[in-house]
Amino acid sequence: MFQRKRSAEDFAEEIRAHLDLEAEELRQEGLSAEEARRKARSGFGNVTAAQERFYLKGRWAWLDKLVRDLRFGVRALRQSPGFTVTAVLTLALGIGANTAVFSVMNAVLLRSLPVADPQRVVYLRTSNPPRGTGTIDSNETFSFPVYDALRNQAKGLSDVIAYVPLSGSKVAVRFDAQPEEAEGDMVSGNFFSGLGVALPRGRGFNKEDEANHAPIAVISSNYWTRRFGRSPDVLGKAFFVNGVLLTIVGIAAQGFEGVEGGGSTDFWIPLQNRPELNAWGNPLQEGKNYIADQTWWCLRLIGRLAPGATPEQALAQLQPVFQSSAYIGLGSPMEGEKRPVMSFAEAKNFPGFDEQYGKPLRILMAMVGLVLLIALANVGMLLMARNAMRQREFSLRLALGAGRGELLRQLLTESLLLVTAGGALAWGFAEIAAKLLGRWAQIETSLAPDRTVLLFTLAVLALAALLFGLVPLRVAMAGGAELALKTSAATSNADAGKSRMGRIVVALQMALCVVLLVGGGLLIRTLRNLQGTDLGMRVDGLVVFGVNPNVKSIPEGVAFYQNLMNKLRVLPGVESVTVMEERLGSGWSDNSDMTVDGKLPNVTNGSSRTVRSNVAGPDFFTTLGVPVLAGRDFVDSDTAASPPVGIVNEQFAKRFLPNQNPLGHIIGTDDGRFQMRVVGVVKDHKYRSINEEPIPMAWYMYAQIPVIGVMQVEMRVHGEPLAILPSARKVVQQIDPNLPLIRPMTQRAQYETTISGQLLFARLAGFFGFLAAVLVATGLYGTLAYRVSMRTAEIGVRMAVGARREQVVWMILKDSLVLTAVGVVLGIPLAMFVGRALATSLYGVKPLDAVSYSLAVLGVLVVALVASAMPASQAASIDPMRALRTE
Amino acid sequence: MATQENNDARIALLQGTLDLLILRTLVLGPCHGQGVARLIQRQSEEVFLVDHGSLYVALQRLEDRKWIRASWGLSENNRKARFYSLTAKGREQLLEKTGEWRRLTRAMGLILDAQGEEA
Repeated sequence: MFQRKRSAEDFAEEIRAHLDLEAEELRQEGLSAEEARRKARSGFGNVTAAQERFYLKGRWAWLDKLVRDLRFGVRALRQSPGFTVTAVLTLALGIGANTAVFSVMNAVLLRSLPVADPQRVVYLRTSNPPRGTGTIDSNETFSFPVYDALRNQAKGLSDVIAYVPLSGSKVAVRFDAQPEEAEGDMVSGNFFSGLGVALPRGRGFNKEDEANHAPIAVISSNYWTRRFGRSPDVLGKAFFVNGVLLTIVGIAAQGFEGVEGGGSTDFWIPLQNRPELNAWGNPLQEGKNYIADQTWWCLRLIGRLAPGATPEQALAQLQPVFQSSAYIGLGSPMEGEKRPVMSFAEAKNFPGFDEQYGKPLRILMAMVGLVLLIALANVGMLLMARNAMRQREFSLRLALGAGRGELLRQLLTESLLLVTAGGALAWGFAEIAAKLLGRWAQIETSLAPDRTVLLFTLAVLALAALLFGLVPLRVAMAGGAELALKTSAATSNADAGKSRMGRIVVALQMALCVVLLVGGGLLIRTLRNLQGTDLGMRVDGLVVFGVNPNVKSIPEGVAFYQNLMNKLRVLPGVESVTVMEERLGSGWSDNSDMTVDGKLPNVTNGSSRTVRSNVAGPDFFTTLGVPVLAGRDFVDSDTAASPPVGIVNEQFAKRFLPNQNPLGHIIGTDDGRFQMRVVGVVKDHKYRSINEEPIPMAWYMYAQIPVIGVMQVEMRVHGEPLAILPSARKVVQQIDPNLPLIRPMTQRAQYETTISGQLLFARLAGFFGFLAAVLVATGLYGTLAYRVSMRTAEIGVRMAVGARREQVVWMILKDSLVLTAVGVVLGIPLAMFVGRALATSLYGVKPLDAVSYSLAVLGVLVVALVASAMPASQAASIDPMRALRTE
Repeated sequence: MATQENNDARIALLQGTLDLLILRTLVLGPCHGQGVARLIQRQSEEVFLVDHGSLYVALQRLEDRKWIRASWGLSENNRKARFYSLTAKGREQLLEKTGEWRRLTRAMGLILDAQGEEA
């Protein structure tokens, strides 16, 4: 089959020879040389056409062969639809799961920032901010003076870019009458130019825009599409952010949704200097915004390395600038104080994603890798079994003169057809799965599979094709033509080597299945623990939304909220209403030391002095359903005019006021400026997230403290909590038509966001464990059924000589039970290893959880028994006479 | 197409018959393309007209199927020519195709003759 193809020149040569011979003959018949040549030529007809046809034929022959092989392959596969469907589905699930998880991993962990030359871009980080500063994130945010110093003296960095959100979540915007919410950032003038983000429409910002705090905005392509349906006349459109008028001047390049992972920024505006647009949406601190307050470390910074500078050089040049500017507004560092150290983090991908999703995604990738392994082994075994059944067909064809190469080519074509069909199905499956994954994980960045994902999938497919190519090779190398002459199943199929190979593969699959079931079990128990966690309150019936009123003074703010609460309380169906500063279950909290009776409390060794505090309104604990153990809840009559009161939780009382009645003690801020009397002790409950441990907490009364800004309104209602929102919205907008409800949702949904990653992970892992079990079950069934069918004759003989039904069934069952035992023995140590790797992702379950292990073993056993029962009962119902007659 | 319209006594070859004719010709011994064409025309008493272009394509097809094999050699008058000869497979095919053809012509004859009696 490897003969050299005939060249077109050779063919032309042959035609020339023909013409010569013809002419020669004609000359012998008496024609002149000239005449003979002419006649020979005309007798031949069109020489060029003949050559053309030869050339085409070569092509056609090749294509013809391929088409013939493909048609034969399709026919062969259609003859055994059970095998084909199983194999294609198995491949599609195995490969699709891998593609889906890989595309998420690609988008989250591997894909670069959508900026020009991302290798030259760095995130600025600091070891710790100096003492006496307020921070958003102690390693990732900087003060305005630091930003100012770095950009003015930067040598190592060609651009220092600042950006800061207008709100911790979303900010109020209004285009028309109806207020809405969007995600917006204030950025430095070099944001787009420094990052190298193109603006296909309109313009970006420049230095002057930043210096003048120009009231202009650039929107993201995503927001443009979502909110404006890509209308071209959006440029020049005016809108309000927290009541401030801005004009849209540009649309950013598609795919650019900000430089922080997870969220998707809708619009950017130059750094502003007005009270309504403070960084993070915070209220002014003693009348100062983020620019005036030199000790508030709230800006995020990104740098672009100057041409030719290495990160180390740039850092060395900037470190002294950073360390001196860090103390602007603070005075000199204290004796022995460790100065903060700046560092760079690579901007190859989104920051924070790795910590948040890195480990679970890698574990998931490993899991789906195992699923793929099982799937490939399954299809390989199915192919092997199928080809072995066709052994005699092959032998017969060999005997009839088919080339071994032709046989191999046909088998390869069949494998290729399977892989292609499986791969196509897998791609569709993966696209849907990746979309679902993204929605579950609340990743708003695009997860659409890109070229990397495609390459990955093709690589997996190539691996599959190669593997399945080797399987038929074995068959083709094995039995020769003489096999056709062997007529007994006993002789033609007792290939000891192959069956040992099959047993090893089944046992390994069992082991992998145990591992996946244990992993899935541990995570599903984690999931149930998380969902079943007692939050310490009656969370059903609660609905929460944020409001950011435009108020000039504290009394005005208090009056706003008191008025709002009064109006909401009288809505039909509302049981009670309260407000708070940090929303429960949002992950945000205010942590600091607090004084107790005028001094910082002594704590026993090892425990922390940190108190988590929140600001709450009247009826706070009554509304939440948190039991008040001693004293009272906040009430409407606690006002700025009455003595300041505070409430603490059990942990606070136990740690800082052990063996005393906490009521009546005075607690306060660590600088001693604000003091309040404890009037209540409440039961410990979950505050930031579902999986937190209880820590000391204290609550301030919102109407008595010197700050007011965005507050979260919590309402307890009868019936469906979300149904109250339209009337609540109407109430808010009667007071101020600019105010949207910020992130309205049920309190339960808010808590669940804190475990969404774990929920997703546990659900997926459980799903893949189950998928693996199903795959192993089908594989096992196929293998066992095949083995039984191979032993039909043997069983017939056994029954003919008096074996009982039960004996035959037991013989078959014993076979798979032995395999199961081997698989379990192999799988348990592996599962223990995996359990340890999972330890940090577990909640309320130990890595060596006996229940999960027992269930996994039980699961494998059930799979083995179910998969064996059918073939076994079939074997037992064989009529001995028929079994023997089939030979 | 191994056929060509002609208004004289010659008739066009039925599709598929060219292969059989080539195989039959080569039973006599190795021969080059021009010789095969001549022989077919001569032995059919000049009834069959062989389109030379088709002939060579057919030769190539048979070679691809390994029914015949080819090698360059010298003709009786010392000219370079590509000689074709039958393979074992080709012989098998010739037997089979001849049988088929016989059955076909017999069946055709039976039908045509029967019609003649009726008429």
